[in-house]
Amino acid sequence: MRWRTSFPIALVLLISGGCRKEQPAAVNAPPATVNVLAAASLTESFTEIGKRFEAENPGVKIEFNFAGSQALRAQLENGAPADVFASANAKEMNTAWSEFLVKPGTIHDFARNRLVVIVPKGNPGKIATLNDLGNRGVKIDVADASVPAGEYTLQMLERMSKDPEYGAEFKRDFLNNVVSQEENVKSVVSKIRLGEADAGVVYVTDVTADAAKDVQTLSVPDAVNPIASYPIAVVAKAPQALLAEKFEDFVLSDEGQEILHDFNFIPASPGMR
Amino acid sequence: MAGKKTIPPRHSWWLLILLALPLLALLVIPPFALLARTSPSTLLRYLGTPAVVQAIMLSLWTSAVSLLIVVAFGTPLAYILGRGAFVGKGILEAMIDWPIVLPPAVAGIALLMTLGRRGLIGAWLAGAGVQIPFTPIAVIIAQTFVAAPYYVKAASVGFSAISRDVLDSAALDGASPLRRFRNVTLPLAFRSVMVGGALTWSRALGEFGATIIFAGNYPGRTQTMPLAVYIGFEIDMHQALTLAAILLLISFGLLIGIRAAYSRG
Repeated sequence: MRWRTSFPIALVLLISGGCRKEQPAAVNAPPATVNVLAAASLTESFTEIGKRFEAENPGVKIEFNFAGSQALRAQLENGAPADVFASANAKEMNTAWSEFLVKPGTIHDFARNRLVVIVPKGNPGKIATLNDLGNRGVKIDVADASVPAGEYTLQMLERMSKDPEYGAEFKRDFLNNVVSQEENVKSVVSKIRLGEADAGVVYVTDVTADAAKDVQTLSVPDAVNPIASYPIAVVAKAPQALLAEKFEDFVLSDEGQEILHDFNFIPASPGMR
Repeated sequence: MAGKKTIPPRHSWWLLILLALPLLALLVIPPFALLARTSPSTLLRYLGTPAVVQAIMLSLWTSAVSLLIVVAFGTPLAYILGRGAFVGKGILEAMIDWPIVLPPAVAGIALLMTLGRRGLIGAWLAGAGVQIPFTPIAVIIAQTFVAAPYYVKAASVGFSAISRDVLDSAALDGASPLRRFRNVTLPLAFRSVMVGGALTWSRALGEFGATIIFAGNYPGRTQTMPLAVYIGFEIDMHQALTLAAILLLISFGLLIGIRAAYSRG
């Protein structure tokens, strides 16, 4: 009889025992994993930075979690195990800072980005200028206002409406044409690449060499283009705090900045570093 | 309907309960944890906001239409699968199951490839001036696609369980095929049909992945309750919790209501 009642307990023990992952012991340094939460728009550049960092620091593995900055901040609030947080706007970083989720001394702007309008190859919506985005029947895809890219899009519209070049009605006409508010900026890119919508507002850096095969771009003039600042910080409860700082230093180093520049980011202003 | 249930000896019951408990706890505790974080007064307050009302109404009517479509076209399909014998039936059944097996995101992409503006059928529709993505129709298609297999599977099992003799004697009595279906086949398969319908409705109501990819996210047009919960989670945790609790209560109410209707019928 006794074995019957102890069986489930044994089963639980067996399962929990199986969860403990035994890392294979390396010869020199014990392998360490640095978890980096990074804005979706950093997908390509940070993947490259991670590869270089790993090459220069044998035994260190960088794991990325790319998503909308607001989603990453929510993950941090819910105790996601992370070492580094890189946001696409100051807002999410400030929230994280005010909730004691990141180490204040480690917050630095590391890159800047700007918006661009993309249309599918063949330009089905016949968009020749930014003004055409207000034309009736144009289908526009944007990032949701909760996502940094969506917030910057709204700032851009605000500025354009004050510019006689576009007129006071531009914002309203543009918003009437919005067919979807995507949960992250990369979804906007995907839908424009598939030709589902006539135009989308994304970051310059989203138009990668690969994406450029399927889309054409319309640049947004400086006067109405909100420049996005990207802050990075070490997470307050980082399990790998030292390596996290090392990774942040690498992002801010000349080598890191050069990689970001290769992916069309504007380097951080030196004063911020 | 089924034979008398065999009762295991008493000590085996304790073992069964002990083994069932962890899973039962996992299924039952989270919904209560969700409700524990919200109060009836905040629920009512959010129920009055236009954004929430919009999402609830959209979810309710699109999932209801999805259910109607599934029942209308799924019943004949379920009958064919349940009572028919033909070559390739196994393959057909496996193909109908695939929305259950595949992640909803895959379903969303597959639907874009089919009905998107440059999709297999969508390109042709676009030529005729019809665009499906970003509309409530896309929401319904995503829900129907993902939720239909539950009904078809359950109903076909119900139809297949009816004995040949019963149907034969009904035919001998001279009942027309339609009357036979209405008065004999359907009542005998009623339980399976209802269970399948309830599963399909709940699944349609909770559909997220295929919807956000295929239909997009626009309040009032394609932002259903699950999408509103997901977007809300990232802006305002409190709003997300409330929306989630409302969704939970609605789907729970639906399931209970269907069960009540079934036990009376």
